[in-house]
Amino acid sequence: MGVINDNISRRKFLSGAFMTLGLGFGLGMLGMRFMQFLSPTIKKQRFEEILVGSVNDMSGDDAVPMEIAGSKILFLKTDAGLAAFSRKCTDLGCLVGWDKSKEQFICPCHQGVYDKNGKNIAGPPPRPLDRFPVVQKGDNIYVKVKVA
Amino acid sequence: METAIEEIKVKSLKDRVIDLIQEDVPDYLNKFVYCMGATPLVLFLVALATGILMTFYYIPYPDKAYASVEAITHDIYLGWFIRGLHKLSVNLMIFTLFLHALRVFITRAYSAGELKWLIGALLLFTTLGMGFTGYALVYDQVSYWGMTVVMNMIEEMPVAGPAMAYLLRGGAEVSEITLLRLYDLHTKLLPVLLILCIAAHIAAIRIIDFAKMKDEKGVHLFYPEHALKVGLVAVGIFVVMVNLVMIFPPAIGQMANPLEVASNVAPPWYFSAVYKWITIAPRQSALFALLLFSALFVLYPYIDRFLVQRGFRMERINIVLGTAAVSAFAALTLWNVLF
Repeated sequence: MGVINDNISRRKFLSGAFMTLGLGFGLGMLGMRFMQFLSPTIKKQRFEEILVGSVNDMSGDDAVPMEIAGSKILFLKTDAGLAAFSRKCTDLGCLVGWDKSKEQFICPCHQGVYDKNGKNIAGPPPRPLDRFPVVQKGDNIYVKVKVA
Repeated sequence: METAIEEIKVKSLKDRVIDLIQEDVPDYLNKFVYCMGATPLVLFLVALATGILMTFYYIPYPDKAYASVEAITHDIYLGWFIRGLHKLSVNLMIFTLFLHALRVFITRAYSAGELKWLIGALLLFTTLGMGFTGYALVYDQVSYWGMTVVMNMIEEMPVAGPAMAYLLRGGAEVSEITLLRLYDLHTKLLPVLLILCIAAHIAAIRIIDFAKMKDEKGVHLFYPEHALKVGLVAVGIFVVMVNLVMIFPPAIGQMANPLEVASNVAPPWYFSAVYKWITIAPRQSALFALLLFSALFVLYPYIDRFLVQRGFRMERINIVLGTAAVSAFAALTLWNVLF
């Protein structure tokens, strides 16, 4: 012991470190651009009111499923008037269906259950069903959905 | 350096290849439970060959994907046989990998061979990834809703979850881009990763050597003894597989319908336990438990060493843990299948 066999000069170490840093930076940049290429651009969200029918069309007790601009919607009369529920289960994104006899929304994937006001009452869903705003203008019913 | 050059001069290439292959194999590998590692390798080769064949007909685009799988299954000459072999080989591969991991776990063969375990764990997870991406390609109801659910599960993972889900899906919703990405993963990235893992796993066995078992001292030659035995196992598996495919030709579910969830979208058996688990347990804690379990599984050799140093008798603990894990897996799977 005692003799330190230092074959690497300071200059050599510094130039090596510099090279490594540069290479790492370059490759990191390349990797980042790679990931950016693979992530599609997020489109700006735009909402629009879309005519879905007249009050008479929607007066039944049964749920009416509809797909509007990619949003899957179930129209249903709730205690507080007509509501447009998103069919997307708040659990893991399956589609809920309306069970008329039980008056419940059921998600078949992991047995999530919502009551007729969209409130999660059983199974894994963490929150009530999402709703789309429903607007009534005269006799016409509009729903506000996201459009691409 | 000089001696290495001398060695190259002295030894012919043929000799060097023989040296590479011809290594002593412990006698305990004659028992079937101990040579379970070669079985998934054979099955992987079957899956690889049949998978390459199917890429000549499969079209990774939503409506056409289902039609092309249907064509492979019903119209193309021997298509049902190729697809049946592919599906069965992957199922058996996962099953035998589970058995292999269990055997290594119970006999504590990972101690003094942590690298083998780490690579093996990566191999197992990659194979499960192959299973998932594979059944997503069929584009029936189970595929579509499986994709949707798994992507949302990834999204719920902490920190990198949302970004990863977005990257995998290629957007905010499952679309044709998602199918294309899963196709790319299934036919390009994951197979390459899998082949690298297998090569590294075998290289690690060569470098670190086979695990030392108590009271097992004898050795025999790799060739012809061990190689022929593996060949015999391969032939046996193949005979069984051909028969199983004949008796149970591959089926195909209903075509994916983004507007209606089928009443049964249960995944294949190897994900049944996880599926049941996330259904019965509260979501966040269920996902956290899965991540924790995976981490403990990967790091188990180090946990083992840590506990051994503190005087725990790991032989017994491993038997208890192994039995518990198998029982839990079997119970959750049966629960999912029967109810």
